[in-house]
Amino acid sequence: MADKKQKNDISKMSFEEAIKELTSIVGKIEQGQIPLQDSLEQYERGMALIKHCRGILQQAEKRIEKISELEEKSKEQDG
Amino acid sequence: MQNKARIYTVSQVNLLVKVALEERLPSRLTVRGEISDWKLHKESGHCYFSLKDEDGILPCVMWASSCRSVKFSPEDGMAVLATGHIDVYVAGGKYQLYVERIEPEGVGALQLAFEQMVKKLAAEGLFDEARKKPLPEYPMRIGILTSESGAAIEDIKDSIWNRWPCTRLFLYPVPVQGEGAAQKIAAALRDVNRRNSKLSLEVLIVGRGGGSPEDLWAFNEEVLARAIYDSRIPVISAVGHEIDTTIADLVADARASTPTKAGVVAVPDMQEVLGRLAAIEGRLAGEITAGLELAGQRLQTLLASSVFRNPLLPVRNREQELDELQTALTGSVREMLTRAQRKLTESYEQVRKIEPHRLLGRKMVELNNWQNLANSGIKGIINSCRMKLTAAANRLAALNPKSVLQRGYSITTNRKTGLVVRGLGDVEIGDSLITELASENLIESKVTNKVKS
Repeated sequence: MADKKQKNDISKMSFEEAIKELTSIVGKIEQGQIPLQDSLEQYERGMALIKHCRGILQQAEKRIEKISELEEKSKEQDG
Repeated sequence: MQNKARIYTVSQVNLLVKVALEERLPSRLTVRGEISDWKLHKESGHCYFSLKDEDGILPCVMWASSCRSVKFSPEDGMAVLATGHIDVYVAGGKYQLYVERIEPEGVGALQLAFEQMVKKLAAEGLFDEARKKPLPEYPMRIGILTSESGAAIEDIKDSIWNRWPCTRLFLYPVPVQGEGAAQKIAAALRDVNRRNSKLSLEVLIVGRGGGSPEDLWAFNEEVLARAIYDSRIPVISAVGHEIDTTIADLVADARASTPTKAGVVAVPDMQEVLGRLAAIEGRLAGEITAGLELAGQRLQTLLASSVFRNPLLPVRNREQELDELQTALTGSVREMLTRAQRKLTESYEQVRKIEPHRLLGRKMVELNNWQNLANSGIKGIINSCRMKLTAAANRLAALNPKSVLQRGYSITTNRKTGLVVRGLGDVEIGDSLITELASENLIESKVTNKVKS
């Protein structure tokens, strides 16, 4: 149950947030100040974050989207 | 005799002068001079000034329409080249240069205008580094303000997606040169800022391809500079060629020297970021492996220690200690006993030397003698005491008043007082008397008479 919740909140994270948490996890583990059991959990979370970041990077847009007052107005008209 | 000279009216003279000038002067000429008395008439928009050199001045006028297209700010003392035609201002009685175009001498008008604008905006702090906003590190939504046609949008798009394909691009088409371009770009900037709660753009790129200074002029205009400064979304300028620097470049939060460099400034390199992720992954795995190995080693070391190999050792040690104590204890008790035994034997010897049995015998004999002596002594004493006692008893018996009674005497007592009657005073006539005889016999009588001897 805790796992599912974690996975959900990772999938909502922005790239920036994910990288930030990842860096802090690595720092904590490298400083060696957490017990082995916790560091295993953090490792798993770190791996999940890395996977999420890779996923974001791998999506690619192919079209430029247009924004302008005209576009806005026509969107409003289309409702 | 007086010559009848022709008399002219003022207007005629003025007209003659005007015609003469038209004939003699080129229809258009350029005059070099120093501006003095520059006056901009606010209501009409016309500019009135004079050009002067060391010897004289030339009055000038520039109509509002021409004034407006002057990019720089003319000032008194400025050396300029003014192009126009000479004509007579009839109402003022002077000839003037009607200026159509004016340029600073030595430096281009645009260059001067640029320098003047830089000074002005720098003084207001629009270029201050401290006010520049930081760019987002991993932008995913980027807005681009540039012409829809033209090379710039392609260059910008390619330079971004080649490096960072995961980001989304949003184009806001604007004119990038000509009349009113600066105003339109500024309006677009303000519009995007206003709508950003819905658009969620993280950074904006404003730019255009290369061109002449005139082509690029919109990016030097004050209205655009202020819109860039006011933008809450960070703005990257990407204008013209490498060597072109515009006011927009100076105000923007970051500058790409050309549109093709926009990607380098705006976004990170995906390959490099993937590399960093892989490195982090490696570090994590490495740390965990190292951590597990270390834990395993510590466990091994612990298992190898004597605590695990020989767990009963402390118990055995204690047992040995106990044995040793016991031995020590037994030893010392035995010693004590031996010593006590020795002492006893010594004492026994000492006692034996005294020959107590013989001593005892002698003493017993002595005791007997004494006892005998004591007994006979005592017997003697008792006898003499007995004799004394008997004698004393006899004497006492003789003194007993009751034995007097045996001889015939009696004791008379007054019944009333209980006292023995010894004299006549002890009784009254009529008193009852009790007389005690020997063997406790009594006689009761009454006093009838008292006789004195």
